[in-house]
Amino acid sequence: MAHARISAKLPPDIDPTKAAIAFGERALPKLNEELQSPELLTRQRALMALCDLVHDPENVYQAIQLGFLDNLKYLLLDHDSTVREKTTEVLYIMASHNVGRDGFIKYGVIPALSQLLNDPVDICRRNMHRAFEIMAELPRGAVGIVDSSLISSLVLKLKTELDEIQELILDTLSGCLCIEAFEALATGAVSILKEKLTHPSVAIRSKAARVLLGISVPLEGKNIVWDEEVIPVLVSLLEDSDPEVRANAAGALMNATITTQGKYAALSADAIPPLLKLVDDETSKVRLNAIKALTMLSEAPEGRKTLLNHVDLFRGQLNDSSEAVSRAAKIAIKVIEWKP
Amino acid sequence: SERRVAGQQQTGDCSRGRAEPRAPAAPAAAMATGSMLPARNQEAMAAAASGTYSYCSRPRALPTRRRYRGAPGHSEQEEEPVRYANLMYDRRVVRGNTYALHALPWTAQPDPLEIQRQREAHRKALARKRAKEQHQSRTPEPVEGRKHVDVQTELYLEELGDRIIEVDVECQTDAFLDRPPTPLFIPAKTGRDVATQIEEGELFDFDIEVKPMLEVLIGKIIEQALLEVMEEEELANLRAHQYAYEELRNAELAEVQRLEEQERRHREEKERRKNQQSQLLQKQKETSEKIAARAFAQRYLADLIPSVFSSLRDSGYFYDPVERDIEKEFIPWVMAEVDETLEKKILGRGVLDTLIREVVEKRLDAFDQPEASGQPAGQTEASHRGSVQIEALHQTETQEPEAE
Repeated sequence: MAHARISAKLPPDIDPTKAAIAFGERALPKLNEELQSPELLTRQRALMALCDLVHDPENVYQAIQLGFLDNLKYLLLDHDSTVREKTTEVLYIMASHNVGRDGFIKYGVIPALSQLLNDPVDICRRNMHRAFEIMAELPRGAVGIVDSSLISSLVLKLKTELDEIQELILDTLSGCLCIEAFEALATGAVSILKEKLTHPSVAIRSKAARVLLGISVPLEGKNIVWDEEVIPVLVSLLEDSDPEVRANAAGALMNATITTQGKYAALSADAIPPLLKLVDDETSKVRLNAIKALTMLSEAPEGRKTLLNHVDLFRGQLNDSSEAVSRAAKIAIKVIEWKP
Repeated sequence: SERRVAGQQQTGDCSRGRAEPRAPAAPAAAMATGSMLPARNQEAMAAAASGTYSYCSRPRALPTRRRYRGAPGHSEQEEEPVRYANLMYDRRVVRGNTYALHALPWTAQPDPLEIQRQREAHRKALARKRAKEQHQSRTPEPVEGRKHVDVQTELYLEELGDRIIEVDVECQTDAFLDRPPTPLFIPAKTGRDVATQIEEGELFDFDIEVKPMLEVLIGKIIEQALLEVMEEEELANLRAHQYAYEELRNAELAEVQRLEEQERRHREEKERRKNQQSQLLQKQKETSEKIAARAFAQRYLADLIPSVFSSLRDSGYFYDPVERDIEKEFIPWVMAEVDETLEKKILGRGVLDTLIREVVEKRLDAFDQPEASGQPAGQTEASHRGSVQIEALHQTETQEPEAE
């Protein structure tokens, strides 16, 4: 039987695991048909080929027009783990393109992906969470995730998942919390995050602090944060070695100390000295958040008293390179020197 | 073949003059050759000409049937002299009695029942004929008392019997024997050996030829790699943007909330102070009212005592003891005494009156009795008048002291 390949010894770059890609316009439609084939091998090979093609945004656009997403949604529930892995990978790559994200929202891919939350294979879950994370970075995508009531399941997963995936979940959560935080609070996210603040991994600590920052934006969040006594833990994180951790911890403190009780909790946890040290930090984010946190604390009379002695530190930051920092320093000075 | 046999039988019968009726008006008869067209045209014309009777097919003289096929290519042309057949020797003409004709139906398809019956009849006839032939002896009849016997006259006798000698022969292929592989066919060497050799660089120059292919290959690889790298770079850029934005956003959000808090606190403070102030004012007002009320009350009450005293005095609550004494005791006593005196007087007067009365009455009586006839009436009247006057005097006297 004649083959399209010329010799029995294959040249080294033909990959037997990939389906042959048709020429030009027919590439994607043919792969679409192969995806629906009942034979396992055909589907696997089509998916491998699709993974390569989908890096190109034009192909992503065309794929979505051809209705690939419905087929991929169906394949997500396949029995074979390779198929699921590859499908989630394709979806993840698609999500990194804007067209792909729009398509996700339009075709409701997020609920379909969420069915894999309890998948036994790690790679599937990791890709799925990666896709979620990218979706959460887009406001509309975050709205989609919130609408699919995924937040509570994600928060609960934080307790049980692997570290890598926990990082992704934390990123997803911090994106979604900008939209709506109540669901996360209702699921007891604060206590879980408090544990994560003392995790050995740096990335998890910094991301957990970032999520806390987001959670303490609404008033209930602030109250729960004060209730669960997270503030002393945050104060201890201010002296962490990683600048990201410090920045996020300072930010979380900044949000949590807006309420009066938060202020007093922070003052009693002795937050001022570490924060003062951070005002001179190298990273602009750390400086910004530290100055803001100190501004909050100086609203309280005791804080003001203490900080009146350190006003010069703020004056030093008035000419900082980052515009936000200099503005924050100005505001801080104004607040500290305010007389009723 | 049966049909054909039957057909042949028919024709055979026809030629023998048997009564096998066949309608002459069967233009589709296989026997008829020659052109029918001029005949048809004749018929048509004749039909138009005669008004009395119209034929389905006009009677015409029929040409003979060719006995032998003509040479190939001859059948199209018509031979010049058309030999007409003798009607008497025509198979198609119905002969025999016409009073018991087997009338054929006009339909082209004869009745299947009829056909079957005819077939049966023919078969029977055939069978009869065959049987008859068989029984027809070709040899002369045996002499009386003798019998013909079949005898074999060959050299060697054969056993004749009805049973045919049968021999069973079987054949079977070998079970599942694979076809042995064909031996490699190496044809015998013929011809001459000729060798040739392609030296390097003769067919093509690898370095030049490979360039375009390499370019394509590497181009594709680099394109793909570039795409992936750009993708990641794009994502990294997006993330950096978002990071910076998030920073600002968080800071601004915190600022907003702080200001809100501040606002709220100040407002609450103001509210509290205002409340305090208003309470203070309220208290002040109350105190001033109290003072005013007190002053007014004082002034009001200042008059109170004298007026009270005066009113009391007016209503007699304060009294001069002597006066009171006089009033309370002396005067009643005096009055009582006066009363007594007067009563006594009255009593005296009364007594006096009574005395007088009695006296007068006695006098009257005394008057009356002695002067009982004389002037009793006048005296009595005078005495009555006198008593009445005396009573009136008394009354006026008693009235007078009372009036005093």
